[in-house]
Amino acid sequence: MNRRKFLTVMGSAGVASALGAATTDADAASHTYPYYEDSYGVLHDTTRCIGCRRCEKACQQVNNLPMPEKPFEDLSVTATRRRTSAYAWTVVNKYKVGDVEIFRKLQCLHCNDPACASACFAKCFQKMPDGTVHYEGSQCVGCRYCMVACPFYVPGFQYDEAWDPLVQKCTFCQPRTQKGQLPGCVEACPMDALTFGKRKDLIAIAKKRIAENPDKYVNYIYGEHDAGGTAWLTLSGVKPDKLGMDTHLGNSPMGELTYGALGAVPMIIGFWPVVFGGVYGVSKAKDAYYKREKEKAAKAAMEAALKKVEETQGADAAAKVREALAQAQEHGCSCKHGEDA
Amino acid sequence: MSHDINITIPTKDKMLNLGEFSLKRPGNIITAIILVVGFILTVIRFTQGIGSITNLDDNAPWGMWIGFDLLCGVCLAAGGYFTTVACYVLKVPNIHSAVRPAITTAFLGYLFVVFALLYDLGHPLRLPYMFFFPGTTSVLFEVGLCVATYLTVLFIEFSIAPIEWLSQKWAFLKAWRKPLIRVGILLTIMGMCLSTLHQSSLGALYLIAPNKLHPLWYSPFMPMFFFVSSMAAGSSMVIFEGMFAHKGVHQYMDHLHLQEANEVVFKFAKAASMILFSYFMLKTIDMFVQANLHYLWSGYGMWWLVEMIFFVLTPALIYAKGSREKNVTLCRIGSVNAVAGIVLNRFNVSMIAYNWQLPTAERYFPSIWEVCISIFVVTLIVTVYRFIVYHMPVLYEHPEFREEHH
Amino acid sequence: MRNGKTLLRWMVVMVVVAVASTGFVLTSQEAQAAGQALEPTESGAPSAMVLFPVTEKANPAKAAMRPVVFNHLVHEKKISDCETCHHTGDPTSCASCHTVEGKAEGNFITLERAMHAENIAKRANGKTPSSCVSCHNENLKRRECAGCHAIVTPKRDEAYCAACHNVTPKMTDEEMQQGMQGKLASDEALATETVLGKKPVNRIAPQAIPYKVQIDGLKDDYEGCSFTHARHVASLMKRMENDKLADAFHSSPETLCQACHHRSPLSATPPKCSSCHKAAIDPAHPERPNLKAAYHLQCMGCHNAMKVARPQNQDCTTCHKERAK
Repeated sequence: MNRRKFLTVMGSAGVASALGAATTDADAASHTYPYYEDSYGVLHDTTRCIGCRRCEKACQQVNNLPMPEKPFEDLSVTATRRRTSAYAWTVVNKYKVGDVEIFRKLQCLHCNDPACASACFAKCFQKMPDGTVHYEGSQCVGCRYCMVACPFYVPGFQYDEAWDPLVQKCTFCQPRTQKGQLPGCVEACPMDALTFGKRKDLIAIAKKRIAENPDKYVNYIYGEHDAGGTAWLTLSGVKPDKLGMDTHLGNSPMGELTYGALGAVPMIIGFWPVVFGGVYGVSKAKDAYYKREKEKAAKAAMEAALKKVEETQGADAAAKVREALAQAQEHGCSCKHGEDA
Repeated sequence: MSHDINITIPTKDKMLNLGEFSLKRPGNIITAIILVVGFILTVIRFTQGIGSITNLDDNAPWGMWIGFDLLCGVCLAAGGYFTTVACYVLKVPNIHSAVRPAITTAFLGYLFVVFALLYDLGHPLRLPYMFFFPGTTSVLFEVGLCVATYLTVLFIEFSIAPIEWLSQKWAFLKAWRKPLIRVGILLTIMGMCLSTLHQSSLGALYLIAPNKLHPLWYSPFMPMFFFVSSMAAGSSMVIFEGMFAHKGVHQYMDHLHLQEANEVVFKFAKAASMILFSYFMLKTIDMFVQANLHYLWSGYGMWWLVEMIFFVLTPALIYAKGSREKNVTLCRIGSVNAVAGIVLNRFNVSMIAYNWQLPTAERYFPSIWEVCISIFVVTLIVTVYRFIVYHMPVLYEHPEFREEHH
Repeated sequence: MRNGKTLLRWMVVMVVVAVASTGFVLTSQEAQAAGQALEPTESGAPSAMVLFPVTEKANPAKAAMRPVVFNHLVHEKKISDCETCHHTGDPTSCASCHTVEGKAEGNFITLERAMHAENIAKRANGKTPSSCVSCHNENLKRRECAGCHAIVTPKRDEAYCAACHNVTPKMTDEEMQQGMQGKLASDEALATETVLGKKPVNRIAPQAIPYKVQIDGLKDDYEGCSFTHARHVASLMKRMENDKLADAFHSSPETLCQACHHRSPLSATPPKCSSCHKAAIDPAHPERPNLKAAYHLQCMGCHNAMKVARPQNQDCTTCHKERAK
């Protein structure tokens, strides 16, 4: 899309000009969260994934999620297009590319600068230094703007819950990683299609795999830069869009798309009152001017008329008219308030 | 300035005037049925969860209640800021009698936007949390903050009417009336700022989802489109609501109101016509600038053209002809067309062109019950509007507070 | 697919191949027995030739790779169209256009590139030239080779280079210098000597390797696996029979072992998988798969590449029994 290209070019031009000053400051200025150098991530190598759904099963077990309709041993479900939901935080989908069947695991990608966090108006989402995008349900209002914002269609909502419906998504097994355990899915993977580690190491590993097997992989680490970068990275043997990965998200965090509009707020608050106050002042002054001119003209006409009366009918008649006019004016004033301007 | 309206103005001894509601007329009967159904659905919604009566799902977290009740509700309540600015700031002559009805409908519009929002929120009682945990990077936070503030502004602006009514019984309220009138211009300019912000922010809500909204509707300038179209909606709604008011509560309009009514229609029609033309140009230029021309030959492109030609250009032309020829009926037809166009545009952004890349099976279509709740909310607005008109000097001037206008 | 007709066709092909290759082996042995001459080629080109690094400058430092002896006969038999290598259509020597420095006739593509280039851009007219290495790599994609070569990339060490850069040590410095300047009268003696002096590589003896291997260090949901080690090795060896390319590059009996027993020195008794791959991933080596994954990646990588239809990737119980809970 041309627009995105345009924005990307504009964005990189901005960054390039800021590079001279201080890279970290420039990053921090436009981002909601700093880039945590030592954050963790997972490398998902789709060339290794065999679609066994053990990650799904492990996720259900370690997070005490409800059992799905069809058992995890039924691998045919991978053929249907599934997405994550409030009750299934990870799913494995099968993609047919030519004759080849390729599997890809879907879950929260734990963005570096998450769209959900930028969108939440009650600050429920936080990017933690360990890489997790943490959701605090106790302050969630349930507006679901995070679900609109997420470019990866990840968060699910408990629509069937009446009293405490919450948004739910992969927690990166934070309770487990804090105890030094691997995330449930990573531990369960029999193929090491999921590699847990520091994000920077994972990128190095991914680059090495691509370099050593140029025929096996396409040279694209999905999530290295997409949408500002994600903690979960995906390697594949075919173009990422063939596996349902959107490659048109651009390299800046999604939230940045709204920062222009948000930045206009102080401008409008500062400028609009001046504009409209000014217009008000001008139109008020104009009204007053016309009113004055009108009164002047009326008075002149009146004087002329009185003069004529005096000339033609004598001073007595003129005095009578004057008296009548004064009475009429007085009467007219009594119903004038003029406050509701 | 005539005193010849034939209604009972509430007095100290008889504050209530509920007779109109108890008349056995089709309107009242339909209202009663809708309110009963709405009440039952409300009970179900709040005891069984959102999923029990909606078709919302994880791909379509926002449906009819956001697309119609919030987006259209806020946009169609733009008549408030549009009329007050025209009358008080720009000092357009002979539209003063349109101000109070416009403020009343705007206040009710916003009030019921918030009311309807409670249905859509998972935790409606936690709505104030946005002030305790302010997510300042969120467009929704800006919307919430502005709507809350503007609702307060509208309440103050509107409160003069209930004061005039209630002061018949509680005379101390009269002391509040004058200060409120004095701050009118301040409130108007505040309302203008707040409206600019949140009307545009409703468009900015979707800036974060470029991959979900069809390129013909997605644009970095969406906030501007929403704001410009809200102005068109504001002027159209004054004509549109006036049309129904003339039908339903004609007897509550005083001489001045009736005298100015047609003039208001022509002036607003002319304004709306120009705004719609400019909106048409903005959207067309944006389409070219973003190199979206090739999309026009797709199904969505056709739909976009339908929206642009039949719901933007056509009402603009009808308005232009109507205001030029001083034809009230034509202007009213134009207002119906324009209001339908605004609703269509908001539906397109929030539902029809949203998630356009998803397979049909995963797309959202509102359930009958969601539509019922939306109808319920509209009926509530109409009912409360009627209550206000029956009791408060909105369409007429209270004899006790009659004043001279510009 | 699996109807009688196809099967029949395959059998005919196999019989023809078998007869042809037997004949070939017999004739080459004959030639060796005869002593000095190589079988003549059909095209009339020399049966084998030395490819000197032809240069226009003097090379007093003698800094050059050992020349390659190119067996024209063997390659000619594998290829139907001379233009596969003689891409200009003119069957002249490579060095006439591609010299060490490169020259205008060869589009300044050096001899080194002409022989080793791997990712050659496709030509619009369909006549994409190929180098020695790119053609050999193409051959590794055959089903018989793909199993191992999909999971392991041979180390580019001296032995690897020597597979081609193999002229007989009897070549004198003078001959080398003359060859580099294109002034050597005849390379026939050197080429014949090299080709005939080549000794066939022994295969590893079935007795030297384990018959079955019990892989059961990781029992959890499933029992261990009884891996039919010798059967797998025999099956691979069978596929390499009479494959000249494999013979040339599998330069020691243990080369084949390296496919699975990778990243350790050549040996008939390589270290166990678990000596590097731990049950849980090693934080110091996050790039190293854990033991379970290492087994699965190795087995499935090979099976997938060789298009072994069974067992299916997700069919756990073909290899392990489900464990009683």
